[in-house]
Amino acid sequence: MPYYIKIFFLILLFSFLLLESCKKPETLTENDYNEWLSGGSQTVFDKSSSAFKHEFPFLREDKIEIHEIGDALFEAQFISAPSVIRPGLGPVFNSNACSSCHIADGRGKPIIANETSASLLFRISIPGSNEHGGPNPVPGFGEQLQTNAIYGTQAESGVTTTYTNQFYFFDDSTNYELQIPTYTINNSYISMPSDIMISPRLSRPVFGLGLLESITEEDILDHADEYDANSDGISGKANYVWDIQEQKLVLGRFGWKAGQPSIIQQAALAFNQDMGITNFLFPNENCYDQTQYDKLNDEYEISDSLLYAIRLYLRTLAVPARRNADDETVLKGKQIFTQARCYMCHRPMSKTKVNVAFPELSNQTIFPYTDLLLHDMGPSLADNRSDFLASGEEWRTPPLWGIGLTESVNGHTYFLHDGRARSLIEAVMWHGGEAESAKIFVKALSQADRDALIKFLESL
Amino acid sequence: MKSYKYLCSLAIAILITITSCKKPDTSQTTDTPSTTTEILTAFSNNVVQATYNDLNTQTNLLYSDVLVFESSLSDNDLISCKQVWRDARSAWEQGEGFLIGPVEFNNIDPQIDTWPVDFTKLDSVLNGYSVYTTTYIDSLQDALKGFHAIEYLLFGKNGNKTAAEFTSRELDFLKALSFDLNTLTTELADSWNENTNDNYYTKFINAGNGSSVYDTQRLAYEELVNAMAGICDEVANGKIAEPFLSIDPSLEESPFAFNSITDFTNNIRSVQNVYLGSYTKDGKGLEDLVRQYNLSLDSDMKTKINTAIASLQNITVPFGQAITEQPTQVQNAMDAVNDLKTEIEDELLPFIQQHTN
Repeated sequence: MPYYIKIFFLILLFSFLLLESCKKPETLTENDYNEWLSGGSQTVFDKSSSAFKHEFPFLREDKIEIHEIGDALFEAQFISAPSVIRPGLGPVFNSNACSSCHIADGRGKPIIANETSASLLFRISIPGSNEHGGPNPVPGFGEQLQTNAIYGTQAESGVTTTYTNQFYFFDDSTNYELQIPTYTINNSYISMPSDIMISPRLSRPVFGLGLLESITEEDILDHADEYDANSDGISGKANYVWDIQEQKLVLGRFGWKAGQPSIIQQAALAFNQDMGITNFLFPNENCYDQTQYDKLNDEYEISDSLLYAIRLYLRTLAVPARRNADDETVLKGKQIFTQARCYMCHRPMSKTKVNVAFPELSNQTIFPYTDLLLHDMGPSLADNRSDFLASGEEWRTPPLWGIGLTESVNGHTYFLHDGRARSLIEAVMWHGGEAESAKIFVKALSQADRDALIKFLESL
Repeated sequence: MKSYKYLCSLAIAILITITSCKKPDTSQTTDTPSTTTEILTAFSNNVVQATYNDLNTQTNLLYSDVLVFESSLSDNDLISCKQVWRDARSAWEQGEGFLIGPVEFNNIDPQIDTWPVDFTKLDSVLNGYSVYTTTYIDSLQDALKGFHAIEYLLFGKNGNKTAAEFTSRELDFLKALSFDLNTLTTELADSWNENTNDNYYTKFINAGNGSSVYDTQRLAYEELVNAMAGICDEVANGKIAEPFLSIDPSLEESPFAFNSITDFTNNIRSVQNVYLGSYTKDGKGLEDLVRQYNLSLDSDMKTKINTAIASLQNITVPFGQAITEQPTQVQNAMDAVNDLKTEIEDELLPFIQQHTN
């Protein structure tokens, strides 16, 4: 071959390579990722009752050690001071251990007749707001009702739940029943203001939180549309809440109303409000300034390092993989999920930011099925109590990952913020407000299609 | 002769070819589902129900013995109360190898076996004036109730309490706590009773056959085996390691009755019970599935269970003392239990995953 032809081919090859390498990378769509792996590479394959309990499958050795310290603390039962072992419970509290409500790192249960355990708590406030724009605490009661107390102290109050049942019909004339709860505060230790607002909250599963914390703020805000500028009926509003460490208002991510900015603040608040354990973020007893406050200027009842261990524990609990994701009915259900536009708020895919300091959380493609934003859910689900920017009708879209494992992990199927829904289909049918059209869509489905939708949810 | 040899070789070759072409025997895979179903049912009857019913009988007996002791105040009756406490404790600890279902879902475990006990407040309760009604007991926090609070009342701080040392308030409280314990164990026994509503027995034995919790039998088996490994982990790396590694006897779980080593041993017996499918009565168990395919795994499991039990029994002084006086034995026991845990996780688990559907 003459040399000029060789050169010609070489040039051709070079220019091809050059052109190819200059091409912009394609943006991968949702379908290009493996949706079985709900937690990206930090997904575990377990559908038993331990499904929520696993540490990240890829975790550096030193972090595993801290994870285990956090794990032991999460299980530990606290008792009242003074005690050699784990003192600090109360004087008023809701529960004596993290794991009493987040059983097996999973979901709590509402009060059911004849059963001793319940993991529902009540956030409370009166009209107005505190100095940071958050809920206005109730004089003598604070921001949460502690319905238990150590010996010698009175619980702030009891709460009774009664349900009234109401029948509704799907368009195919099959009926379904929803139970509407009423909460009545009784036996309060001092009289309670009449304008008190109460918000029932059930404990949520605690896995995957580190991944949710690692979604960038820009990404979350990209999906916000507070004034529904695109007129699709769905707004999506960011909550801005007080960050104690930062001393400013920041994006809220955690809790039923996105009222907490970070895992550590959510955990520290739970230690303080649920158990009465003081810590560096919440140094005052939960009954501070109340008549039952012991006025002792104690040290923190949990050390900073243990609180950080709990944070690491919660950051590195792995997400269970999906089951039956390629099942025909499940795929059909997924289609219905899309047609009903559930995905508009229960946003399937997110990405975590690049984080060199914490590679285990870095750059993961995850499927949490939430946008972490607030949405108006209509009057029937409303707690009528605002929480920073969240109105009485607004709730944060809860993640759906792992929801199909609830019965295996926690032995029940109670859903929504106060566990009023007794099954997934009831939970769907409770939706209103921005999700009204989605509910109407489901209401019009055939039995087979409804079942397919549920089967899809169960596969998450 | 030569041709005869050839003929023979040919015949053998043909025979081998024919045999090797035979379809593999499928009888094993067809009878497996029935074996695996039988084992689940037998386990639920002979291990879970038997253990929980025994526990419930013992706590009931504890309550009635406390009543007898209350009227006689004799040291002999106190001794029988202490013995029944140990018997009830034995049943409970032998249930910890299968902490699955309602005992976990309904938080029954932390109520029956709360630890630590809040001694300061317990003394306050005893020095107070409240009548120990059921409502009152229900209003008390968990740390004042359950096995260990009863242990403290029965055995006293130094483990040698006599009948004469009991105050009437202590007797009343003991009575109320025994009654409360019995209520909880009844709830537990009922939760696996096939005749109660929403019972776990039905969900468990119907694994892979319409159970709402276990869509496959394999899942139920994994649950069982994980629970076995779980209690080994708890014994080795929690109950033993925490007081031992921090050399802190105050972290011991059953210090007043000097019962900790017995507790640990019964936990490993619980693993054995699940494996063999026996409590008071022997029936089909995991071993029957294992023996069908892998005798060496069966023998390893049994050896490791026995070694763990034996090494715990080598500790001859109460655990609180042993952590300083017999550290070698304690270390050996911890290692043996961890060894059993590894065997369960690395050998038994993959085995059952392979042999169940």
